[in-house]
Amino acid sequence: MEKIKKRPWLLALPLSVAATLAFAGPDKPEPLPEEEIKVEHLTPPDGNRLYVTDFVFNHMADGRVHVVDGRAARYLGMVMSGFGALTTVSPDGKAIYLATTYYPRLYRGQRSDVVEIHDSETLELKAEIDIPAKRAQAVAYRSMLVPSSDGRFLYVQNATPATSVTIVDLHSRKFVGEVQTPGCWSIQAWEKGHRFSTICGDGTMLTVTLDDAGQAVSRERSARFFDPDKDPIYVHPEMIGEDRYFVSYYGNLYKVSLSGDKPAFTAPWTLLEAKDRTQGWRPGGMQVTAMHRASGTLFVNMHEQGYEGSHKNPSKEIWAFDVASRKRVARIPSNAAVSLAASQSDAPLLYSLNPEKGEIVIRQIAKGYPKVSTMSGIGETSVIMEVR
Amino acid sequence: MDFLKLLDRFTERRTRTVAQNASRRGFLTGVSKLLVAGAFALPVLPFDRTNSAHAAGGHGAAKKKAEPTETDCDYWRYCSVDGFLCSCCGGTMTTCPPGSTPSAVSWVGTCHNPADGRDYLVSYNDCCGKTACGRCFCNTNIRERPGYRMGVHNDINWCMANQSSHYHCTVSVIVGLEEGQS
Repeated sequence: MEKIKKRPWLLALPLSVAATLAFAGPDKPEPLPEEEIKVEHLTPPDGNRLYVTDFVFNHMADGRVHVVDGRAARYLGMVMSGFGALTTVSPDGKAIYLATTYYPRLYRGQRSDVVEIHDSETLELKAEIDIPAKRAQAVAYRSMLVPSSDGRFLYVQNATPATSVTIVDLHSRKFVGEVQTPGCWSIQAWEKGHRFSTICGDGTMLTVTLDDAGQAVSRERSARFFDPDKDPIYVHPEMIGEDRYFVSYYGNLYKVSLSGDKPAFTAPWTLLEAKDRTQGWRPGGMQVTAMHRASGTLFVNMHEQGYEGSHKNPSKEIWAFDVASRKRVARIPSNAAVSLAASQSDAPLLYSLNPEKGEIVIRQIAKGYPKVSTMSGIGETSVIMEVR
Repeated sequence: MDFLKLLDRFTERRTRTVAQNASRRGFLTGVSKLLVAGAFALPVLPFDRTNSAHAAGGHGAAKKKAEPTETDCDYWRYCSVDGFLCSCCGGTMTTCPPGSTPSAVSWVGTCHNPADGRDYLVSYNDCCGKTACGRCFCNTNIRERPGYRMGVHNDINWCMANQSSHYHCTVSVIVGLEEGQS
């Protein structure tokens, strides 16, 4: 070190020799301009903005939501979401909502649960709202954290494991109430009014109506519309207007219309033909279905040789059904997906997520469902997607 | 606090008594009425089980020549486990790793023991208070149902009622015989 200190020019010698050799001629370019650091600002969502919920199972304290441009197959950014967060995106795509849990010393201290609102263009935190420390630390299914259709309230599924729903006023950004929903699970928001239904363990629906202050003014139990022992339904809903579609473990499709005074139920129909049944085809996965609303096409994540306990298995194929005619219209190869999403934009796309690889296969929703691209490395334990 | 006391009543000792005196369905129903579902560990992962072993019936079980041990997913009492086996995390089938805390609530599976031909009720308690162990992930969902049947639901963190709800790993504790077994 002593010698080098005394002769610092020795260090520069190899570089200067190289530079001289490379730029010896008269065509030496102008030096690069000086640069400054800026922060990206996303363009408004275009209908193919994907929000991928990743609960990083190996170290759950720092979950995240990955933001992806589905059409360009480009990673855009991330929102941090804490421990086992419930996540969703506002209907207009402008805000990302989370319900999550923090401890002051990472894993110890007083638990605090909050709703967070993140801006979907800056991916910055806009607001934090304290809620009771009982929100469900559950897989972020579509029906666990749900805004009212007019954007006024946000409904949060609770479990202690006693079940209830927290009501947050998104205008005043305050917790305003809690509704007990014993024995019932999931939040199915109505298109009209401040009303939601929840699926109960006896096969009925409980419908709760709120007043303008977010307080429950009525609770009505429906007739039994499915048999949880013989044909349990997934709580992930597909929505066309006021109609909700639920698929069952054994491949039946239930339609519930959340309109008028109370839910109206249509008799379920089977997605399976006799041959499918022989081969043991069943729905499976986490986000087991997706809906392209304009064409009324339902996509279902399917595996064969199903058995008791296979209801979360990844798919071998994705089956497409025309909901109006109740006919299967396509069988699409799958990337061992567990979750599906469909965009509603012009030239819509079908997304299928394989959580082991963090891989999303992107296909056109068009004849033959041609593959557009494959993205990989989207998170560590990504299981749920939304698209706006 | 009343609720926590209620939970305490239903852990271990009480659970054992109730389970032994009631059918599985009766047991779960009773538990559900008290809003204490039995059960277990965290997020249930929908991973590609073709790559991992399963217990219970050997659905898609990994190819193994030796008898499964307590660190193998296809060991009989893991028939409905979903999470990291505490046996690989410094604990055992029935003990939590050092410094972690057993969950106050859990969910229950029914598993067949090939050694004695009996079906047992198994409580899948989580060990809580540290981050995920990350070792020996096993995922079977036999008789698992959505949250409207909370007592047999596992897409949820069963450390939820603990002072620190961080999920670490899962133990599998025999709490009685299935109805009609002796």
